[in-house]
Amino acid sequence: MMSWLLILLPLVGVLGIIAAPARLAKVTALLTTLVVFGVSIAAAVGFGGWGNGTMGLTGSFQWLTNYGIEIQVGADSVSLVLVLLTTFLMPLAVLGSFSSVKDRLREYYGWLLGLQAAMIGVFLARDLVLFYVCFEFTLVPMFFLIAIYGSTNRARASVKFMIYTFTGSLITLAAFLWLAWSASQAADGQWTFAIADLTRHATTSLAASEQAWLLLALLIGFGVKVPIFPVHTWLPLAHTEAPTAGSVILAGVLLKLGTYGLYRFMLPMCPEAVVEWAPVIAILAIIGIIYAALICWIQTDVKKLVAYSSVSHLGFCILGLFALNPMGLEGSILYMVNHGLSTGALFFLIGMMYERFHTRDMRAIGGLAGRMPIWACFMVFFVLASVGLPGLNGFVSEFLCLIAVFTAGEGGAYPGVLGPWYAAIAALGMIFAAMYLLIMVGKIVFGPERLPAGNHDDGPLPKDLGVREIVVLVPLAVLCLVLGVQPWIIIDGTSAAVADTLAVYQPLLEQASQQTGSAVSNALAGGAP
Amino acid sequence: MTGTTIAIRIAESIPAVPAVPMADVVEATSHWWAGFILWCPLISLVLCGLCAAFRVKSKLPAWITVLSLACSFTFTVILGNLEDVPERINLFEWIAVFWSDGSFVANFALYIDSLTILWMSFVTGLGTLIALYASEYMEPDLGKGYARFFAGVSVFLFAMGCLVMGDNLLMLYLGWEGVGFASYWLIGYYYRRPEAVAAAKKAFIVNRIGDLGLALAIYLIWATFGTIQYNELMTLLDEGTYATVYEHWSVEAIPYLLMLAAFGKSAQLPLYIWLPDAMEGPTPVSALIHAATMVTAGIYLIARMYPFFLLEPTSLHVVAWVGGLTALLAATIGMAQYDIKRIFAYSTVSQLGFMFLGLGVLTTYGASYHVFTHAFFKAVLFLTAGAVMHGFAGQLDLRKLSGLRRMKGWRIVAWTMFVGCICLAGFPFTSGYFSKDAILAEAFVTQGPGFEILGWIAIFTAFLTAYYTFRVWCRVCAGPVHFEPGDELHDDDHHDDGHDEGHGFHPHAPRFAINFVLVVIAAGALLASVPYFMTNEVSDIKGGWIADMVNDSTAASGIPGHAEHPGTIAHDHSGDHGHHHGSILGMDPHVAMYYISGVVGGVGLFLAFWLHLWRRQDADRLRSWLLARAWIRWLPVAMENKWYVDEVYHALVRAPLWLLGHIFHGFDRYIIDGLLVDGTARLPRLVAKWFQPLQNGMLQSYAITMAGGAALIALLMILMMQFFEGGGVQ
Repeated sequence: MMSWLLILLPLVGVLGIIAAPARLAKVTALLTTLVVFGVSIAAAVGFGGWGNGTMGLTGSFQWLTNYGIEIQVGADSVSLVLVLLTTFLMPLAVLGSFSSVKDRLREYYGWLLGLQAAMIGVFLARDLVLFYVCFEFTLVPMFFLIAIYGSTNRARASVKFMIYTFTGSLITLAAFLWLAWSASQAADGQWTFAIADLTRHATTSLAASEQAWLLLALLIGFGVKVPIFPVHTWLPLAHTEAPTAGSVILAGVLLKLGTYGLYRFMLPMCPEAVVEWAPVIAILAIIGIIYAALICWIQTDVKKLVAYSSVSHLGFCILGLFALNPMGLEGSILYMVNHGLSTGALFFLIGMMYERFHTRDMRAIGGLAGRMPIWACFMVFFVLASVGLPGLNGFVSEFLCLIAVFTAGEGGAYPGVLGPWYAAIAALGMIFAAMYLLIMVGKIVFGPERLPAGNHDDGPLPKDLGVREIVVLVPLAVLCLVLGVQPWIIIDGTSAAVADTLAVYQPLLEQASQQTGSAVSNALAGGAP
Repeated sequence: MTGTTIAIRIAESIPAVPAVPMADVVEATSHWWAGFILWCPLISLVLCGLCAAFRVKSKLPAWITVLSLACSFTFTVILGNLEDVPERINLFEWIAVFWSDGSFVANFALYIDSLTILWMSFVTGLGTLIALYASEYMEPDLGKGYARFFAGVSVFLFAMGCLVMGDNLLMLYLGWEGVGFASYWLIGYYYRRPEAVAAAKKAFIVNRIGDLGLALAIYLIWATFGTIQYNELMTLLDEGTYATVYEHWSVEAIPYLLMLAAFGKSAQLPLYIWLPDAMEGPTPVSALIHAATMVTAGIYLIARMYPFFLLEPTSLHVVAWVGGLTALLAATIGMAQYDIKRIFAYSTVSQLGFMFLGLGVLTTYGASYHVFTHAFFKAVLFLTAGAVMHGFAGQLDLRKLSGLRRMKGWRIVAWTMFVGCICLAGFPFTSGYFSKDAILAEAFVTQGPGFEILGWIAIFTAFLTAYYTFRVWCRVCAGPVHFEPGDELHDDDHHDDGHDEGHGFHPHAPRFAINFVLVVIAAGALLASVPYFMTNEVSDIKGGWIADMVNDSTAASGIPGHAEHPGTIAHDHSGDHGHHHGSILGMDPHVAMYYISGVVGGVGLFLAFWLHLWRRQDADRLRSWLLARAWIRWLPVAMENKWYVDEVYHALVRAPLWLLGHIFHGFDRYIIDGLLVDGTARLPRLVAKWFQPLQNGMLQSYAITMAGGAALIALLMILMMQFFEGGGVQ
């Protein structure tokens, strides 16, 4: 019941926006998102799956029963954490848009709420049909948000975003359909799209080579979404051109659809192939970390810098997943949340700067600390969270991911197929992250004040952040601090679900390390004996 | 070397590794209040933040900070007198992941042993005094950055407390990065100045390189030992129950990774470059963070993890050599600088080099004692430099200041600086004399590759130290009265006089807070020699309670006279005491060093008085003489240009990375996105273009196309039918 409420309430909000006059659109949207947040908190409080692997908030709806299509919803602790991230970010995104969006208000807030429904749907879906529908539907609102409310190059960015990610997920769709077909063959023509059944089928009856193909297809679809190294180029463009709230949601939640997909489908469905191919994916992630970090370092556009930093940061998240041990998975889940918070906040801050000075070029603007001290404080705070300063949230997840990868080798505490070198090279990303983020801070926050010509605060916005803007940022900052000091909130809650996911891996990994690694990881280990 | 031989060698050396008897570690629940050593600065941070938010224009932030740090100091002293066994105090759970057959736990917990207390006592004590000093020093910024400054100091003290008092390596890491961040905050305090911003950034990034080493060391330690808690680690080391080789890494890699961290934080070769630039921060910060406390974190780390270093003796040789060479290099640079704070900064790098030398030659006592004495005398030197800077509108060029001791109101500054100088120069019977000699003598006692050469290098460095130290004092404090003000004339500073381009400029002498702190710390610097004469609990060792404190901790094996050393390092104290293989000029090194270092210091001091007080023109003459000779010209030039190390870094690290960034950016834009992505996206259009001519609107051509298409389909059908008939599916 709660699940249906979470998915449908934003849609009710859309109806409300359509019915109400345009000037009420933003209030309606804010109220809706707040109510949804309240409902999600209530659902989380009443949730029985914390600390044990069970499913909660379940519900189902018979649809095309002839084809086994039954809409199922439900959440385990990992899903619920991401739902909470979504419902937490949405009111802030709405509130943060109050001053930046000035016309076509109803459409704007309508699309935002539609997006929210789709995102929650993705996380709560327990069957592939609902999952895929929601997964694809997130593209539509985002397409319009970028295309209508974006900046100068928005048309190209929106089309590229749409086509690129759509193409990727079509391949995933094909894989899903094939999987469902294969399951129906095995079950005498009895079709099902339930994720649990399909996972069981994939792990028990698929051959290793079939799993490998499945892995490849899933990797293409979800990898584009994350994005993993060679398929990342839509992201900087989309991020740069999107309106502030769009960037926040994109970084905060939409990218997590990719990592969530990997966690939810790839890890449980094709374990043998994952063990075989984890080193390759890890290497792509590491390339992404270093490559994107160095690109960040020479950027002049602040927003593009933060966008590329997402590519770099999510590399750690992917690494954590494919460490295939509890620390890595916990680190990865934490990373999804933490990246959403800190990068989301950075996009808010850049948006607030952009609203005042209409530039994102670090050569044209700088030294804003004296002029906007509150803004500067938040900027430094979230940059530090993003850099991974211990005591703030980013550190915990980065540390767990890296230590997991480091120990995920032959003689590790938990067997695995990666190893120290993977972690050692990826950890260079820590240094690079400090380099590019502090250069950004050094330019736009500190130093002598530089303002773009002809753009002085003639707008309605206050010189420094106003109350509304502070209200947007404070919850993010508080959560960054809380998750940095008390990360057990998430770790303890999700540990059982993670253990369930990993249950299938332990024998495989032990086998793999007994055979001194698979062929692929052996070749990649660099001639190790 | 294969894994097995390493394993065997380590197995052999295990029983000899002395560590604290960890069975004695007490889980203390009654001492929960020890957490207030950390919470006090944190409370102060919050209150200072509130002061900043409400734009408090009084000195309230300073008093809050001084009070809270004093509380921390009091708690530290109480804690130190209360217990002398190691104890753990669990505050709360921080990062903990459990799974079916294992766990990773890093609690927010304190590990209190005597090494912790030793470090915390001078960290909080000097912290309190320097905060008091800063309450006056930062006056010009009242209502502007005043609260921000004291908030930064509070952050620093909190982080330093975590670093020193943490009971596991992750707590240490929290403090390690935390002090780096506090340092970033405070170096960049004058955030409008591009140099300050650049220096802050440089400090953070160079420190991050070291942090990488620490992070990897933590991973490796956890992977090998399954814990990162000190007491458990030391127990495991004692028992020898751990895998020596982890994958292709062995436990022998741990000390090198830790070393990287220590060299980053404590500004050693090749990572020292950030420290001189860090002088852009306000001077109290330089005194507290970049001289007395934070930069000694590297020494603390190695002392704390000393048993790991004993597992791999070569690592200690590396530590010794890096320390010795850094000491020499920094001293040569310091000789040729004109900015007082920079001279002191290079001198800090140099003295830290001495401490690492001490660690490397197996005297954790010497290193710790030098940390302790150095904290006082270097703090006093920086604080006097700060007083000068404060009074002369930012003037720090020693050529433009002279005769301070004859000026009214400046006598305390001049003479406390003198105290700092004699201690730093190692003048006989000062604190620096004893602590430095403890290190130098061991360099001749302990056997290692070229340790004797290293000892002579260190003695030569001591001579240079005496020279450059008194160069500053003779120029600035002695001689005829003469001064030029600097260029930082504060608007709200000297209300009474209009100062036009330095004419009518009146240096304003320090008042009570500054003078008081100077006198107290200078007294501390002198009294720091007392522990050397005090008696010990253990009769075999010397050095008073400082040696006792080190002896009770994980760094115990670095005490001369301590029971045993691993067989792989021949330390001549083991076995019969008083019999030394090492000797200098036929004498016992410890005795000989008293004379040698006295003489060397005296010569350096004499040279400084000659060139910079009695006949200052000789110094200029010497310089121009050197510069005129082609064969020697490079020496002063290189020294004045800091041996071009920054330029080398730029060429070897920064420029290639910058280039790589641009290459990647181009690759991303033109190859991945342009060629592959957009190229693929253009394919359909390209294909469409081929067929576009068909849509030409002419009926005949459509007819032809239609006919051709029909023919093609017919052909295909015939072919397929033949295929199926001839052994196809049916």
